[in-house]
Amino acid sequence: MAAGRLSRTAAVAMNTYRESVRERVLYNLLFFALLMTLSGLLLRDLSIRQDDRILKDLGLAAIDLFGTVIAIFIGVGLVNKEIDRRSLYPLLAKPLRRSEFVVGKFAGLSLTLLVNVAAMTAGLYFTLAVTRHPLDLHIAKAVACLYLGLLLTVALALFFSAVTSAGLAVVCTISLVLAGRFADVVRNMPEVAPSVPRALARAVYFALPNFANFDLKDRVVHADPISPAYLAWMAVYAVAYGGLLLTGAAAVFARRDLK
Amino acid sequence: MTDPAVELRGLRKAYLVGHLRRRPHAVLHDLDLTVERGEVFGYLGPNGSGKTTTMKILAGLLRADAGTVSVLGRPLGDPAWRHRVGFLPEHPYFYDYLTPREYLDYAGRLFGIPSAERKARSDQLLEQVGLARYGGVAMRRFSKGMLQRLGLAQAMINLPELVFLDEPMSGLDPIGRRMVRDVIAGLKERGATVFFSTHILSDAESLCDRVALLREGRLVKTGRLDEILSAGDHHLEVLVAGIGAPVAESLPGAVGARAIGERWRVELPRGVPLGPVAHAVEAAGGRVLAVQPVRQSLEDYFVSQVDPSREGRKWPLAD
Amino acid sequence: MRALPLLVAAALAVLVPRAQDELDRLRAQDARERAVLYVRSGDRLRRLAPGFRSLLADLYWLRTVQYYGAQIAYSKEKKFELLQPLVTITTRLDPRFELAYRYGATFLAEPPPRGAGQPEAAVALLERGARALPDSWRVRQDLGFSHFFYLDDAATASRVLLDASRIPGAPYWLVTLAAELLRRGGERETSRLLWQQIYEQADEAPIKENARMHVLQIEAADTADAIGRAVEEFARQRGRRPASLPELKASGWPDLPLYDPGATPFEYDPATGQVAVSRRSPVWAPGYARRPERSPIRPAPSAAPVTASPQPTAHGR
Repeated sequence: MAAGRLSRTAAVAMNTYRESVRERVLYNLLFFALLMTLSGLLLRDLSIRQDDRILKDLGLAAIDLFGTVIAIFIGVGLVNKEIDRRSLYPLLAKPLRRSEFVVGKFAGLSLTLLVNVAAMTAGLYFTLAVTRHPLDLHIAKAVACLYLGLLLTVALALFFSAVTSAGLAVVCTISLVLAGRFADVVRNMPEVAPSVPRALARAVYFALPNFANFDLKDRVVHADPISPAYLAWMAVYAVAYGGLLLTGAAAVFARRDLK
Repeated sequence: MTDPAVELRGLRKAYLVGHLRRRPHAVLHDLDLTVERGEVFGYLGPNGSGKTTTMKILAGLLRADAGTVSVLGRPLGDPAWRHRVGFLPEHPYFYDYLTPREYLDYAGRLFGIPSAERKARSDQLLEQVGLARYGGVAMRRFSKGMLQRLGLAQAMINLPELVFLDEPMSGLDPIGRRMVRDVIAGLKERGATVFFSTHILSDAESLCDRVALLREGRLVKTGRLDEILSAGDHHLEVLVAGIGAPVAESLPGAVGARAIGERWRVELPRGVPLGPVAHAVEAAGGRVLAVQPVRQSLEDYFVSQVDPSREGRKWPLAD
Repeated sequence: MRALPLLVAAALAVLVPRAQDELDRLRAQDARERAVLYVRSGDRLRRLAPGFRSLLADLYWLRTVQYYGAQIAYSKEKKFELLQPLVTITTRLDPRFELAYRYGATFLAEPPPRGAGQPEAAVALLERGARALPDSWRVRQDLGFSHFFYLDDAATASRVLLDASRIPGAPYWLVTLAAELLRRGGERETSRLLWQQIYEQADEAPIKENARMHVLQIEAADTADAIGRAVEEFARQRGRRPASLPELKASGWPDLPLYDPGATPFEYDPATGQVAVSRRSPVWAPGYARRPERSPIRPAPSAAPVTASPQPTAHGR
């Protein structure tokens, strides 16, 4: 029984992945990400010292930016595109549960992102190798953490995709992703504006997805060590928040009438 | 005693309409329906009568507001029966970027069919629905008819005991329609149950054992086809030759004289005896070629039930 | 069956704030820039770009370097007005951008036409840098030097260098320098030592070049003083001052250079016996001419001697 669930979910995931490979939007994004990374080579020469700092900054920023773009723009269409096109009808009539469909879509886009992020990271390493800089494993670590953040973004986009229409889903997802990147500001609101009640600020802070948790770019560039405890809690956060979103998505989607 | 294939009791569904104050608009009213195993059941009704809503509830896309549904003896929410059932939606849409083979493989995986068997069945089904040549072509370029054929194939990939078809002939040319009829006949021969909804009555007439007629969310009539139709008028159709128009148009009790080349065809409504007509024909020097009972067509019956004001007039073919 | 997803959701919902708290705590422990983070005076730029701050710092840094180069090359007045704001923004975006502090301070402190002539700003910048980079001995070294050169404060300079010398990885001679500063604070020789150090350690061309220029200035001043002493000696022996430097050279000081390291002749006033570096010379600097000299000239104690051959510099035009 569980094996059936897994194989059905995997079938949905593979199909989602296959769709992303065959729809060419991704290749454009990948191209621009690589372009951004390579431009680091040019900028590096304009700096006073020939160091790899700006290359790493630019490369990691590209991966973060384009990964987020992919996660949001494919993510918000994952469910409601199928509803609009009515390709969902023959699928749900089969022994496919709605929750399996949601999880499968998530897994498929996660796989797509993994491949793309790996390609962009390879591009960054290649750029570093070409300029004869020592290969830095810290970059891979930072990318892995970024990837966790991207998975959270996917879960967010998928949630809105399952719950509302495409247009609204885009707006909500982008808003929350942006807000999540400013989560630190929300947390410190009571310090800066003392009239804001502490409890409210804290509640909003915890509710927002805090993407700064996954952002270790500064550490990488300055070659700081990252404690294993931090990595562990970061993973817990990602799984907990992401799991919450997926559970919510599956629950709402299960009750939804699909005309 | 095996359970019926489909049983609906007191099924109710309403949509909320309006923007500010949303009022419920009832689409299905206390529907009671039973489909027995092994029969070909026609679910008929004009557009907007609730046929598709019923199908969507059965497919699990919509939730009924009230009532019970059981399929193959199991409740609607039990996923087990879905392994034994196939669905063909109206205007099916699959995925542009997949080929029929890939889609059938995907569908097969959702049923848990092992890989080798998936392939074998896909090949056989594609052959059966006439898509064997296009098995590897991306569906981006498929016409409506081709999508319909694939729809039929994916509905049968799991060798179902019960098949739901929503407008199965739509978009198909005569050869395609013949193919669908053969498929349905084949299913019936295998002992499967077929539940199909359509508004093309000639198809229903030629295929169904029992039908149900839906009007504005209510079942107007359910029963065996021949019983329904035999309850209607019985005309006799007489084909004669060797007489002229004046004679043909004035045969005793006959109506609707129509020339077909050199011959004439007249109708005798129920109750009008054949004898005097035959006599009149022979007296005029002609002969009776054939006599046939003509049942009321399903279409006539349909129209009389649905729109009594139009009784007796031909409804324009809606296909 | 319905209850299960609800329970799962509840469990996850509790986990999220807990994990977030742990992450914040760990971040505060690891990160050193916390203190600099929430300055109320409107770090608006910082707030605009979380997550891409490091990149923005790089971009501002590029702007700074380009700005400085453009001022040197093209500007007639060379005021470097934007240098301080640019460097400030760069270091607020990334408080651990060591190079920005050092380069920024160097050229903020330098008097025109080579820099902005704002030594106090330079010192303030380096002090911020020292706070943000507790492990950087280089920043503290620069800070110490700045106190000595520009604020004339040998005591503070020495203390800062001593602090720097305690940082793991700091070179051994920082302690020596600190001691020297205390002992002979205010001497030209000490300055030359310091500039020599900067010249030798710096990787970056502009900083190196600047240090070299300072060493040459000191050498020129030293040489002028030596020539002055020769003039006095001549006067004692002959009862009158030499009429010109070539006469002095011809009468017994054959090794006397007539040209300074900037290939400009020394100026000599026979009436007063003063020998000075010509104002027109590229190695003229106001400060050194005024410094009192107390001990004889010694050759520079460096392994890699500074090359004395003058090179044309942009501002010499």
